Amino acid sequence: MNDNSTPLLQLDSVGINFGGLRAVDDLNLSIKKGDVVGLIGPNGAGKTTVFNLITGVYKPTDGVIRWKGEPISGLPPYRIAQRRILRTFQTIRLFSGMSVLENVLAGQHMETHQTWLSGLLSLPKQRREEKALRKSCMEILEQLDLASIAHEEATSLPYGIQRRVEMARTLAAKPELLILDEPAAGLNDSESVELNKTILGIRDQGVTVILVEHDMNVVMNVTDHICVINFGRKIAEGGPEDIRNNPQVIEAYLGSDDDDDEEAA
Amino acid sequence: MKKLTSTWAGLLLWVLGLLLVPLFADNNWIFIMSYFAIYAVVSLSQDVVLGRAGMYDMGHAVYFGIGAYTTAILNTQYGVPILWTLPIAVVVSALFGALLSAPIVKLRGDYLLVATIGFNEIFHMALVNDVGGITGGPDGIYGIEAPSLFGHQIMSQGGIFVLNWILLGIVLLLMNNLENSRLGRVFRYLKEDELAATTLGVNARYYKILAFALGAGIAGAAGTLFTSLLQSVSPGAFVFTESVTLFAIVIVGGQASIPGVLLGAVLMFVVPQVFRDLAEYRYFVFGLAMIVIMVLRPQGILPRRRRLE
Repeated sequence: MNDNSTPLLQLDSVGINFGGLRAVDDLNLSIKKGDVVGLIGPNGAGKTTVFNLITGVYKPTDGVIRWKGEPISGLPPYRIAQRRILRTFQTIRLFSGMSVLENVLAGQHMETHQTWLSGLLSLPKQRREEKALRKSCMEILEQLDLASIAHEEATSLPYGIQRRVEMARTLAAKPELLILDEPAAGLNDSESVELNKTILGIRDQGVTVILVEHDMNVVMNVTDHICVINFGRKIAEGGPEDIRNNPQVIEAYLGSDDDDDEEAA
Repeated sequence: MKKLTSTWAGLLLWVLGLLLVPLFADNNWIFIMSYFAIYAVVSLSQDVVLGRAGMYDMGHAVYFGIGAYTTAILNTQYGVPILWTLPIAVVVSALFGALLSAPIVKLRGDYLLVATIGFNEIFHMALVNDVGGITGGPDGIYGIEAPSLFGHQIMSQGGIFVLNWILLGIVLLLMNNLENSRLGRVFRYLKEDELAATTLGVNARYYKILAFALGAGIAGAAGTLFTSLLQSVSPGAFVFTESVTLFAIVIVGGQASIPGVLLGAVLMFVVPQVFRDLAEYRYFVFGLAMIVIMVLRPQGILPRRRRLE
């Protein structure tokens, strides 16, 4: 690990209050380009809140979030997205009543150049762009093995496939940093093995990934670096091996239940 | 393919209407069809904001009225020919749409609805109280010229009808194009899930204001033709209940559905004109029909066809 390069994303003493509740407190986190970082912790630890802070859904009460050195905390979500920081949601948020293809087209919003007027007038250049957009969407769908269901209604598909559609929609937006909120939730074993491959494939394309996940098969197999939080504070950080053997983590994350041998196996 | 055939069917109906109505209908029917074209355009413009972008705008008669008064004032005070006032009415209405919506688009559905009712009430009061001495007060403005084309005044009902029908055709074409453009898709994304859309880079505020401006601009164009059809304007045509009717047309007809909105406009504006004798009963029948449709068919009479591409 070389520490001399500027981190891609840096959280500097970030905190947020919801009324009297301190949901995230004094969180420092530094993410290097090309890493897959896991953010883990018990339920209610503040993991999703951290994602909401990074993506501009919430504004931090204290601290600064920097993207390539530039402060981005407090910017609205669409401006964060314009910096190619993109996310999926814990509860899948696909557009209902629209096909898989139309959902993935949403991911290409920032890649689309037509003006509203050219769309209303259906100018030749606009029509050409619409064709090109569909073509590149189909390519993304093929990569994720979704091409055969491109024209089906997205929200009526099985859960595991909806997760992949949401991933495809996010990838269509050309992320530099991809934030996955429990990507394995609701997936069966073979689907989560498939997910591991997908995540590593995305990393190999040069995309940095942060993920919140409870499925340790995913966390231990794909992450380079893990940050553990509990009650909104960071309690440990390190490589998967360090975290797996860290007694503080085992206590906080797994409780005092020693029967769960899954981690030690 | 299905989409293509319905587009051709729509085009055929439009051409038939354009050719047959002025030739075969009597003056009363030609007037009714002119009137329908205008209200169909206003309903389609309401649908841009309500059915497509998903914002509960219950003050849409304001923009229709701004277009109508812009034309009336420019024509009677400054002698601007009617058709010249059309682009000005579009721009003025669109500007008002953008300005009035800018502070409220961040509001959630029900709060936005109440705010738009407020706009409508203020607008009506301003017209009645002759603010700025240009609206003519409760009596409105009279003596508006007939539109002229290439120096010839269009005096006949048939000529007015053709003019209104052409505007309806243009607006239908724009709505059809909207379906296949980024703008139309963004409206749907915002309606379905604003948070998901914004995290994909959609500037929600910009597009919501744009939806209001676009809807208002189209309503403004209809306002110009409304003024030239009646050759007068008065505040009564732009009261809050008119906005409620426009809102109901979209909901009852079918949100974001062109055939649905057109059918809604027929039911709400053409049928009452035809059955004038039954004036007292018609609102009872309409009220009852609205209740029954909302209970049995909440998606509207002719809902948007699930056209998945």
